[in-house]
Amino acid sequence: MSNAIETRGLHHRLGKNFEIRELSLSVPSGSIYGFLGPNGSGKTTTVRLLLGLLRYTRGSVTVLGRPIPGDAPRVLARTGYVPERPHLYSALSVAEAIRYHAAFHNSWDARRADELAQRFHLDGSVRISRLSKGETGKLMMLLAIAQSPDLLVLDEPTDGLDPVVRRDVLTALLDYVSQRDATVFISSHLVHELERICDWVGVMDNGRLVAEMPMQTFKNGIKRLRVADAPSLVSDTPFVLLSREPGDGLGGGEVWVVRGWQDPMKQYFDGVGAALREVVDLDLEEGFVELLRTFRAPSG
Amino acid sequence: MFRQILYTQWKWSGLGVAAATLVAFALPILSVQSAGITEPTWLDARVLLPEMEAWSRVYPALALAIGLLAGTMAWTHDHRGKHVYALTLPLARWHYVLLRFGAGLAMLVVPIAALWLGGVLASSMAVIPPGLQTYPHALALRFAVAVVLAFSIFFAISAGTARTAGYILAIVGGLLVTQLLLGLSGSSTNVLGPIFDRMVTLPGPFEIFAGRWMLIDV
Repeated sequence: MSNAIETRGLHHRLGKNFEIRELSLSVPSGSIYGFLGPNGSGKTTTVRLLLGLLRYTRGSVTVLGRPIPGDAPRVLARTGYVPERPHLYSALSVAEAIRYHAAFHNSWDARRADELAQRFHLDGSVRISRLSKGETGKLMMLLAIAQSPDLLVLDEPTDGLDPVVRRDVLTALLDYVSQRDATVFISSHLVHELERICDWVGVMDNGRLVAEMPMQTFKNGIKRLRVADAPSLVSDTPFVLLSREPGDGLGGGEVWVVRGWQDPMKQYFDGVGAALREVVDLDLEEGFVELLRTFRAPSG
Repeated sequence: MFRQILYTQWKWSGLGVAAATLVAFALPILSVQSAGITEPTWLDARVLLPEMEAWSRVYPALALAIGLLAGTMAWTHDHRGKHVYALTLPLARWHYVLLRFGAGLAMLVVPIAALWLGGVLASSMAVIPPGLQTYPHALALRFAVAVVLAFSIFFAISAGTARTAGYILAIVGGLLVTQLLLGLSGSSTNVLGPIFDRMVTLPGPFEIFAGRWMLIDV
């Protein structure tokens, strides 16, 4: 499977206190890739590096098979982008903004634009400065989709939108993807939202990529285990032990959070003289929190 | 593509350019009318020339104002969005800059044409004393060069970052403060004078603004 986006050893310094370090991510073509991370983890900076808006100091970026920033115009012709903050010219009306955007994209789909404008109830005569946050979000999604891109890069596209607008926007996105087999790179800190739509997930924290894997692997592989008679020293586990804490007192023992869990691994506990009492599935948000907690914990 | 860029630029600065167009059209006519010459006599030339000279200071000021307006407004909305929109359009950066510059130039045609038309009209209305001639085409050409020069400079400054504009302002401000301090300390050293002279006398880049802007001259 080829990658729509690929970065290798990417490095970028932003101010004195923040840097993207050794970022190597691979976004498979045709996937919906959720780019997760807490606020300030470097998601938006990464998106800007991917599109050539910022220049990296080391490493390489390839998008749709072309190098960035060298081939940025060609890549941008095939990429729909919804930025974190609205970037459209506020003095234009909705219709004018659509005409303006269409003029730069040869693959502009006027029929789809009209359909989406109707579906989103966007009035062409209203000035952008007078649109609500939800309407602005819809307009930006319309512009990104109607240019018929092979890749959609969406930076917090639904942040601050009400649930109805959020649903409308995501439905339009999924409709487009299902028809065109486009790749979607969607950055967000709204974990539940990504859980429903993404098939790949990458997690950023403090400028580093903490994890990258298929969503199913991420969701299935992270478990909370209740372990009795746990050994004080743990080594050679067939899974990755993310954390271990004392239990809540009722069942006693310890609570372990592990990654890469599979059922046959239960036998490990017999081997070390411990007893596995319970295996609990974690949802994406819990898994995400545990992952970050482990990542941030001081080593040793 | 160019049409859309031109449209946005007109939307942002059209009102100012329209106002400048009216002024550019009216200036030559007002200058001739204010002289109030009714008979073409030799004596009237002595009235008319100083009157024309007085009006001649308004033309370069207008050219500067139009250049400033069109140059800065070309970038205002991109600055507001931190250039994200422009940078994510499928164009090379130089191409986008060229489109914005071209659109600005295209808009400037309107006030330049208005001044030329006003000059031609004023010339046909004017009572010209013997020994004097009208120069509506030369005046319009000088105006066009000055407007384009002013636009180019302000466009380039506005295209840069706030830091670039800050450096330029700091240099100009530094010179002014130096001159002021020298004056207060009783020194006769003139820092600004020679620099100004270099800029506005040939081959200085701003000579066009200091030359003779006469609609009617010997």
